[in-house]
Parts: sequence; structure tokens; C-alpha cells
Amino acid sequence: MSKSLSERISGPWQFLMQLIIFLVGFFYAIIFYVSVDEPVDVNQLARDGVIYFSIIGLVAFALGAINLTRIHWRNISNKRPTRPYSIVLLVGMYSMFVFGAIASPFRLDPSASVLPAGFIQTFIPVWEFAYYKMFVPVYAMVFALLGFYIASAAYRAFRAKTVDSTIMLVSGILIILGMAPAVELAVPQLDLIRDWILNYPNTAGQRGILLGLSLGIIAFSFDRLIAFKRRG
Amino acid sequence: MIALIDGRIAQAFLLILILVVVSLVTRLGSRRTLTPRKLAGLDTFDDAIKSAAQMKRPVFFCPGLGDVGSSDTLAALAVLKQVARLCAENNVPIIVGNADFNVQQVTEEIVEKAYKDAGKAQLYSPEMVRYISGRQFAFAAGIMGILARERPAVNIFLGEYTAEALSISEAGRAVSPIQFAGTSNTDQLPFFVATCDYVLLGEEMYAAEAYLDKNPEKVAALLGQDVGKFIAVLLILISALTLTFGVEAFYDLLFM
Repeated sequence: MSKSLSERISGPWQFLMQLIIFLVGFFYAIIFYVSVDEPVDVNQLARDGVIYFSIIGLVAFALGAINLTRIHWRNISNKRPTRPYSIVLLVGMYSMFVFGAIASPFRLDPSASVLPAGFIQTFIPVWEFAYYKMFVPVYAMVFALLGFYIASAAYRAFRAKTVDSTIMLVSGILIILGMAPAVELAVPQLDLIRDWILNYPNTAGQRGILLGLSLGIIAFSFDRLIAFKRRG
Repeated sequence: MIALIDGRIAQAFLLILILVVVSLVTRLGSRRTLTPRKLAGLDTFDDAIKSAAQMKRPVFFCPGLGDVGSSDTLAALAVLKQVARLCAENNVPIIVGNADFNVQQVTEEIVEKAYKDAGKAQLYSPEMVRYISGRQFAFAAGIMGILARERPAVNIFLGEYTAEALSISEAGRAVSPIQFAGTSNTDQLPFFVATCDYVLLGEEMYAAEAYLDKNPEKVAALLGQDVGKFIAVLLILISALTLTFGVEAFYDLLFM
């Protein structure tokens, strides 16, 4: 088996990489608070840096596609039971890549300077069919499944087994009833109860979590930044 | 010319103050043996993975939709290190489903290293770490497919999750006896609570690495975080009280 990346980069190289990570991370942390425009516009430099990082990161996109191809090609070549799905995935992925590159609104040759305009026009209905008539409805269908999942999860959560779940059940029912227009008309006071639950206990709980979370993120990020000190 | 950006001056000082306190408390704390409070979910990782070994079924790990710059993803990757190690030690295959191509590379590296370090390199296969899709619901559909086909014994959903959280955790519940979850997205936490056996709420996810690793320095850092939290709570209380009595100076100072 070939050596993994962490085995190939070790000792002083690993320290150097962690030092670079620390310096870049620290630079971006400072630049959030400080503005430096002379002799070099450092803030602009930081913005440019983000673009370069994004470009470098996008190279990994090809690696993601290679991983998908490798896994599904093995499914096909080893005649596994999931072979039909893998064929659909690979055909769909690569044909959409080709159709998109030729005919999507963000195509590689928008002004038809390389590919003949007629050729692009031929593929536009194909791309539109694949995107708007196949991808969009399937995508919406997966999203719509959420409605059924909410119902089954709510049924399980809203069972008065303990004091906590009883409180949740009662507050959940009050909120649902408070949101229903017919009930709102019949019992206008429910509006007040719903707003009180949402604005006070709910907000207090959420802020408690967010406060801990923010400090957790600061400490965690700081720990990642100074990792070189501990490991080096 | 160097200048502090208006509106962020107080934030900068507060951040420095909190970092100094966190590092001081961490340094003092690491001299003692500290024990973090019990986190039920993390205590059962070991048993859950052993039960997966008995059932001869894999463990599924998903680091969410976030990219490598997301703190949720970084926390999830730190937990993945421990989970992959436990899986390798117990001869259990792990399946990782990724939405981000950069996270894919990192998870491949983590899982491969865990199996090699445990002397089980022959158990590792590149097919264990899979790139699914960067599209939210295509990713959800892919994960739901893996869960239905592979029927993992343990599912771990940690990281950045949005509306797909419920779909995948509910699909996982139908096939797997035990599920763990954790995210900083407070909108998705209730869905995880309804569908998973153990949920790491917000900051608990950031504490998970220290908790599982049991490194004294990392455990002491948790104490540092708590002290930082007390400072923040104190500042909020002072602001609320001074504003109640009509004094706005302290509040304005925080937004300088």
C-alpha cells in the first residue's frame, strides 16, 4: 500500500506546514480588526488571497469526481447488485457535464467563438430537458420527503413519557394551535401564549446554546492555530 | 497606515482578553488531573462500535455539508480520527459520506492513517470514503441510499447540517440500532434530538475531541472555555443591568 500524505510529510516539513497554517490563520484573524492601506493595501491582499485559496481548493473537485467514478465503475465491473444505479449515475454525471459545458447558460463558450452556434443551439433543449424536466423535479421530490419525515419524527418526539417530553408536547401543541388560522380566530389569546413561548423560553435556550457555541468556536479555532506549538 | 476598524475595537480587546484567560486557565489546569462532565453520547462510542463488530455491520460517519473552513467540520474531523481508530481496532469497516471535495481528501487521509496505525492496513479500502455530491438534497439522497443498502450498525452525523438533517437521520433510524449526531445549527438540533439516540448540543461537539482523546492539555482547554463563558455572561449581565438603569456607556463601549 502506498504511503499516506501524513507519512510522506513528517518531521521538519510537517512543522513548516503547520507554521504556515498558523501564520495565514493569524493574518486573517488580525485583518478582521485592523485596516492597513499603506504601503500595501493588506486588506485587498487578504481578499485576493481568499480567491486564490478558492481556486486551489477547486482542484480537489476533480478528485471528488474521480472518487465517484472509481467507486461506481467498480460496482459495474464487479457486477454488484447496485450496478444499474451506478450506470445511471455515471451516464447522468458525464452526460450532464458535456451538455452543461456546451449548452448551459454558464457554458464554456458563451459567445460561440469556438463551437458553431448551430451546434450549441442543438444542445440547449437537451440540457434544458435534463436540468428542468429531470434534475429539478427529482431534487424537489427529495426535499418534499421532508414533510413525511417531520410527521414521523414529531410523532416519536411528542410522546409524554417523561416530564421533559411532556413539556415539549404541551408547548409544541400550543405553538401548532397558535399558528393555525382557524384556532387563532376562535381563541385569540393563543397568539400571546405562542409569542411568549417563542420569544422567551425558546430564545433564552437558543442564546444559551449560541453563547457556549461561540466561545467553543473561538477556543477550538485558537487550538487549531497553535497546534504547531504542541506537535512541533 | 495602520488603523483599528470602527465597531471592532472592543471586539478585538474582548477576544484578546478571552484568549489570554483561556490560555492561562489551560496552562494552570493542565497541571492537575481534570475530569470533564459526563457526555453520555461519547461514553457509548466504544460499546456501539463493539456491537457493530458483533453484528458484522459497518459504521457510517458523515461530516455534513460544510467545507474544511467550517469549525463544525473541523470538530467532526477530530471525532472521525477517534471513531476510525476504534473501528480499526475492532475490525469494523467505516463508511464516510462527503459533500465537499476538500473534506473528502482529508477524511480519506484520516481513515487510511487510522487503519495503518492500528496495523490493519489490509482492511482499508478507498471505497470506504465516498464523495456524494455538493448539492444539498442530492447529498441527502446519496446518504439515504448508502444507509438503505449498507445497513450500518452505527450512524454518526456530526458537522454542519441544514434541512437535510432530518431526512438522513430518519432514514438512518429505519435501518440502524444506534445513532449519534451533533451540529451547531440550533434549527436542526430538535430534529436530531427526535431521531438520534445521542446528540451533542452545540459546544459539546467542540469538546468531543478532548473528551475522547483524554489529553490533559486539551481537557484543561475546556476549563479555559468555561471561564471565557463566565466572562461573556458577566459582560451581558452588566450591560443588561446598566441599560435597565438608563446608563448606556458600558453598552456603547462594547460596540466601540
